[in-house]
Amino acid sequence: MGDKKKKAQMFVKLVSAAGTGFFYVKRKPRQFTEKLEFRKFDPRVNRHVLFTEAKMKTVVSTKAVEPGKYFPLSALDRHMENNHIRLVCYYQYSGEAVELGEVTKKLRHSLSEMLTHFPIVSGRLTRDERGHWKIKCNDAGVRVVEAKAKGSVEGWLANLDREKELQLVHWEDMFHKPYYWSTFYVQLTEFEEGGLAIGLSCGHLLADSTSATSFMKAWADISMANKMVTPPLFHPLLLTRQGITNPNHHPHMELIHHYKSSIQKPISLKEARYTTISMGFSAHMVQACMSAAQTNSPITPFAALAALFWVSLSKVKKGLRNGLVDMSICLDMRKVLGIDVAFFGNCMVYNKVHAVEGDTNNFTFPQAVRAISHVVAKMDSERVMDLIDWLENEGVNSPTMMNNHDLVCASLESVDPYLAVFQDGFKPIHVSCYVEPVLGEGQVLILPGPPGEGPLSRVAMVTLREEEAIKLCEDELISQFSPTTMMKCQ
Amino acid sequence: MPPTLPDFSNSVKLKYVKLGYQYLVNHILTLTLIPIMIAIFIEVLRLGPDEILSLWNSLHFDLVQILCSAFLIIFIATVYFMSKPRTIYLVDYACFKPPVTCRVPFATFMEHSRLILKNNPKSVEFQMRILERSGLGEETCLPPAIHYIPPKPTMEEARGEAQLVIFSAMDALFSKTGLKPKDIDILIVNCSLFSPTPSLSAMVINKYKLRSNIKSFNLSGMGCSAGLISIDLARDLLQVHPNSNAVVVSTEIITPNYYQGNERAMLLPNCLFRMGGAAILLSNRRSERKRAKYRLVHVVRTHKGGDDKAYRCVFEEEDKEGKVGISLQKDLMAIAGEALKSNITTMGPLVLPASEQLLFLLTLIGRKIFNPKWKPYIPDFKQAFEHFCIHAGGRAVIDELQKNLQLSTEHVEASRMTLHRFGNTSSSSLWYELSYIESKGRMKKGDRVWQIAFGSGFKCNSAVWKCNRSIKIPVDGPWADCIDRYPVHIPEIVKL
Repeated sequence: MGDKKKKAQMFVKLVSAAGTGFFYVKRKPRQFTEKLEFRKFDPRVNRHVLFTEAKMKTVVSTKAVEPGKYFPLSALDRHMENNHIRLVCYYQYSGEAVELGEVTKKLRHSLSEMLTHFPIVSGRLTRDERGHWKIKCNDAGVRVVEAKAKGSVEGWLANLDREKELQLVHWEDMFHKPYYWSTFYVQLTEFEEGGLAIGLSCGHLLADSTSATSFMKAWADISMANKMVTPPLFHPLLLTRQGITNPNHHPHMELIHHYKSSIQKPISLKEARYTTISMGFSAHMVQACMSAAQTNSPITPFAALAALFWVSLSKVKKGLRNGLVDMSICLDMRKVLGIDVAFFGNCMVYNKVHAVEGDTNNFTFPQAVRAISHVVAKMDSERVMDLIDWLENEGVNSPTMMNNHDLVCASLESVDPYLAVFQDGFKPIHVSCYVEPVLGEGQVLILPGPPGEGPLSRVAMVTLREEEAIKLCEDELISQFSPTTMMKCQ
Repeated sequence: MPPTLPDFSNSVKLKYVKLGYQYLVNHILTLTLIPIMIAIFIEVLRLGPDEILSLWNSLHFDLVQILCSAFLIIFIATVYFMSKPRTIYLVDYACFKPPVTCRVPFATFMEHSRLILKNNPKSVEFQMRILERSGLGEETCLPPAIHYIPPKPTMEEARGEAQLVIFSAMDALFSKTGLKPKDIDILIVNCSLFSPTPSLSAMVINKYKLRSNIKSFNLSGMGCSAGLISIDLARDLLQVHPNSNAVVVSTEIITPNYYQGNERAMLLPNCLFRMGGAAILLSNRRSERKRAKYRLVHVVRTHKGGDDKAYRCVFEEEDKEGKVGISLQKDLMAIAGEALKSNITTMGPLVLPASEQLLFLLTLIGRKIFNPKWKPYIPDFKQAFEHFCIHAGGRAVIDELQKNLQLSTEHVEASRMTLHRFGNTSSSSLWYELSYIESKGRMKKGDRVWQIAFGSGFKCNSAVWKCNRSIKIPVDGPWADCIDRYPVHIPEIVKL
């Protein structure tokens, strides 16, 4: 007696290689075990792209969550509603080769274990009485996509571009009914000839880049030793400040002005095509860059590199001697506010950089560095708390995107993603990060460099319009520091 | 019309009357024998020893007569012992504990439902209502293939699930009983909905390298009551083969049968059926007498398939779109009640104490002859059994049986808690319930257990076990890590 209900065909999902999340569903005969690839029309990018097969499921925590728990989101969280983060970590085995599929199973298991400590990640969005977002910890789980790719991870990295990389991290924009929308997506791609890529994407509402990296690290810790080195902290953002009733307290306005102006500007939906390139700066070169700043006071690698890109990109966009483009920087405020780095949530603040001295049309690199350092010094805890108060009270009912207009330089150096080592000797060999979508002048993300290059080495991921990206690669100032191009334009 | 007795004092008096009546009727033989023995004893005493001796000498006994009577006694004794059915012992059993990563909370189930059935919000609403009232908990498990969006029910995955469930249960059974695979003489596997070639029993024989002269059977298509049918088959085989071990594996493989269409009657099983399995070791060896947990007393099988409505009640068919699913009719509970009544009618005389049977007989005669309006007497099965294992088919089934048999909350606790923790695991749910009772430390020597299972067809099967030795806690089983949390209060409707 055969199994009469087995169908001869099964459904598969053909996912767009453009990373837009668009997919077709197709029937496939069960016996046909090869992966399907078709060139089909993706309406989101308005052209034909290559689709490959992937399986999606939901992973839940190992212990049931008590029903009825809620977690409110802070004003900083809610302000980042329209953005999402994508993190891609590439791994290579240092042990013996493992069977395809086994790695995915073990990783799913450790993810399940880890989610027990992150009830917020497996919860769902809902609105509270004031109409603000909050998380209902309903134990719904995280979406996981399992995929297989041809070739090896080194081969993939050798010919990397934005479109290819975004295939490795799945993302779905918020549904019309967000109660059924998973806020976190994990994609596990096993390379047939060796290697693994883990793509993590999450709504910026719940986590900033530091938290996303901490998430990966916690997962790696659990898979290695079933114990987290730095367990996450979930608490309301401002622990102090409640009870200050000083009516004469005048809030410092610079940060507030910056946020106010970006709220007032509408979200521009230009039709330009953006691409991302990635440049690695060795420790030696970063040191040289810092020395070229010619200041006596100490500067951070971030200030030096941000100034470098500011000056070069201004040249590319506006031409020589036409002044600098508008720029804002984005920094992690955990240390400044006295919050542990394990705090899970949004704690990154944007601030505009003004040119403070000299001829506005003829800026030098050292002057740019000084301007940036000046702004960084002024982002102290008082001002940040004033900003958060203002955001809570004046209301952010229509959050905008902070990377919508100016050039944004963000520092993602708080947590080193290369510390996330998984069991069986999976060590990360490359990490990329995206904060999407980018619609303004562009975005530069400064990440720590790969291990073995020294603590000062950095990787810069630059998202620009295509023509500008090409020009940037040939820019003199940047070439002085001989960056290694890790990801080219298409 | 019998008068109502609202007074408390009256009902107390009635209770004592009932107790007295039961004691009288149940021990009638003892109560009649004792006066007779006392009378004979007094008579003997009166006669005196001399008279007894002269009475003894007056009886002439021939050698032939003595020999013939001796042979007669020996002959009758031999015939009696030969024709007595062999005692079947349940040495031990092991239930499959699903891995925690296969857990399906309500929220995940509903999200998947919404994503897969996005064109049928009414079906999704229906599933949500069923889940809210189902009595399931947040820790029930579905096989890995069903966790995908959309589910991937390939044959390979179904075999994978079968291997996971059956081999885990069998490994646990081997370690609990110390049984060697080469010692298994009879193997019976029952799995209703998945029946590959070679069969699941062949899969087990291949994995554990069982003997080539093993008697293996694979029962498929027989529904949730197939577990007791397998026990019945094992019992019959053990009557024929002396000194043998039989392993019965009861499971249900969900992967190939997850309904992917929109028909409401067929979506119901998706909400209730979960992963589970059990392996049981039965033996008729006298050496197992000391360590066996239970002794099989009766198995009663009732089949209502002759009635068309009962036959079509649980029916596997294709829906309008050609997708195959199992449809449950709305009169399921009524038919289950009928089947149960039929089963009880056969079971009653075998297990009920004489007092209950007499009452039932008298009420029956009274209804037939005097007044058909008399309420039929429902025998009190609580006097025949200490524990009840009702198949955890769904909340409605347990509620219905609790009402019909007038059971207390404690009696049905095992069934309700199994439904909450493991869901409807089909034929193996009875073993999870038995494990619950043992884990709670309620199983004492001499306790009688009644296992009732319903299945498609429509069948109602019962098995009666008697506990052979008191079972001490902690019990190593699927409840080991969570028994302290139970019993849990299960609300009528869980708000999702």
